[in-house]
Amino acid sequence: MSGGTTEYTIADDGSFTAPLELFYPYKRTVGPLLSRFLTGLREHRIEGTLGSDGRVHVPPAEFDPMTGEPLSEWAEVSSTGTIVTWSWQPSPVEGNTLQHPFAWALIALDGANTNLLHAVDAGSADAIRTGMRVQARWATEPVGSITDIECFELVPESAA
Amino acid sequence: MAERCAVIGVGQTQHTSCRADVSIAGLVREAVDRALASAHMTMADIDAIVIGKAPDMLEGVMMPELWLVDALAAAGKPVFRVHTAGSVGGSTAIVAAQHVTSGVHKRVLTVGFEKQSDGNAMWALSVPMPFGMPVHAGAGGYFSPIIRSYIKRSGAPAHIGCMVAVKDRTNACKNPYAHLHEPDWTLEKAMASPMLWDPVRMVETCPSSDGAMALVLASEDVADAHDGPKAWVHATAMRSEPTAFAGRNQVSPKASEDCAADLWRKAGITSPIDEIDAVEMYVPFAWFEPMWLESLGFAPKDHGWRFVEDGITEMTGRLPVNCSGGVLSSNPIGASGMLRFGEAAMQVMGIAGEHQVDSVRKAFGHAYGGGSQFFAMWVVGANKP
Repeated sequence: MSGGTTEYTIADDGSFTAPLELFYPYKRTVGPLLSRFLTGLREHRIEGTLGSDGRVHVPPAEFDPMTGEPLSEWAEVSSTGTIVTWSWQPSPVEGNTLQHPFAWALIALDGANTNLLHAVDAGSADAIRTGMRVQARWATEPVGSITDIECFELVPESAA
Repeated sequence: MAERCAVIGVGQTQHTSCRADVSIAGLVREAVDRALASAHMTMADIDAIVIGKAPDMLEGVMMPELWLVDALAAAGKPVFRVHTAGSVGGSTAIVAAQHVTSGVHKRVLTVGFEKQSDGNAMWALSVPMPFGMPVHAGAGGYFSPIIRSYIKRSGAPAHIGCMVAVKDRTNACKNPYAHLHEPDWTLEKAMASPMLWDPVRMVETCPSSDGAMALVLASEDVADAHDGPKAWVHATAMRSEPTAFAGRNQVSPKASEDCAADLWRKAGITSPIDEIDAVEMYVPFAWFEPMWLESLGFAPKDHGWRFVEDGITEMTGRLPVNCSGGVLSSNPIGASGMLRFGEAAMQVMGIAGEHQVDSVRKAFGHAYGGGSQFFAMWVVGANKP
């Protein structure tokens, strides 16, 4: 990781740098809506909440972004969608679901009014462009996390 | 104060060790909805929102103000976040009051919260900085030497801390929102409680709680039109000082004494023991009750423990302290200070239920934080200031 150091160093001007390494485990109680969303992912189901203006929020918004009212109506959306925009990641880092070059993309899932940030396994930057259709590739061992979608993959043009 | 300000809405969650049924946003909203209901308002009536919580590292939440905007219905409104360690609930309420007393806003919602179950405050308070010897003992390890110093200086007998603990845990049984409901404490049983950080026993230590507290503060015209109980803000004060400096009195920090003196002066109070009818004081470790009684000017120096021993701070005593059960019975850190401020207001409003003290005209709310270095206090009253 950048920024950190494990070394005690003294610069030419006498300024001293000491390492400070923190590791601290937390947990997150996510509440009833995200609980349903995340457990749904384990079963390859993507759901969002229906806002007061009829828009579908994925992941679900707990409170309406416009009115602040609690949201409780659900809408299942497709695991297939369209690339809205993307950026190439040539050097994956630890923690990325893909360990070979891939695209970060905003994906408009069919049925959703929000864009989902996720990885697209496109092979090369030449192979991907805005407007392409993508479909979710599910992780082999789902746990109830957004990474239960391992990544999205391009839908062959002929199939789309 | 230029403009008058009153508390017209108070709402808190049930405080407990783990609210696994709600997210942080859901927890906050629960307190907010109750505060709005008691103010006879909806989110749409609110002009501005001031929120506070303990240091982000305690829960590992970066900038909760950022992702609570939906839950606080803050779209299109000003949101402010206050940081002052454990005193944050108090200073957050004060910042909210200043938005009203300055004349900028008429209806301000303020909320403090903590979901300690998502993190672990004790270890998050023990970051091993390269320039300090790592102790890894949490807040109890920090405060126990200060308590020992108080005991030595004042000559207090060893059972005083346990007396405070038994009182607060007993009071908490009258407060349905309190985290700990433990009716069976006796002094004898408390004295047998395990020693955690000598001289602090487990019973003399606050719990780790999930919870939130929200207040609605209103300008004079809004409060006058409100058909319900209200508590007028008579005075507020805040002070800070460094964690360590030569000659620092950690038992009774100068910032604490100066803050109290400033508060009493602003509130026109010359004898706090005679003029304050109910106290909600920040006591995370039982011995801090006698220590703060002295520092705040309720008791003469070295006499705070005698107040405890004589039952003066019991709910039926001359100066009831922490009738809600206090921090010793519920400690959602970021909310704890606002709970003190809000519980003081509830006493004035006459809505404290079973832990209500009779005919409270003026009440005192108090919070401290950091290494006894941030202080926030207010006086609320039944009459306009």
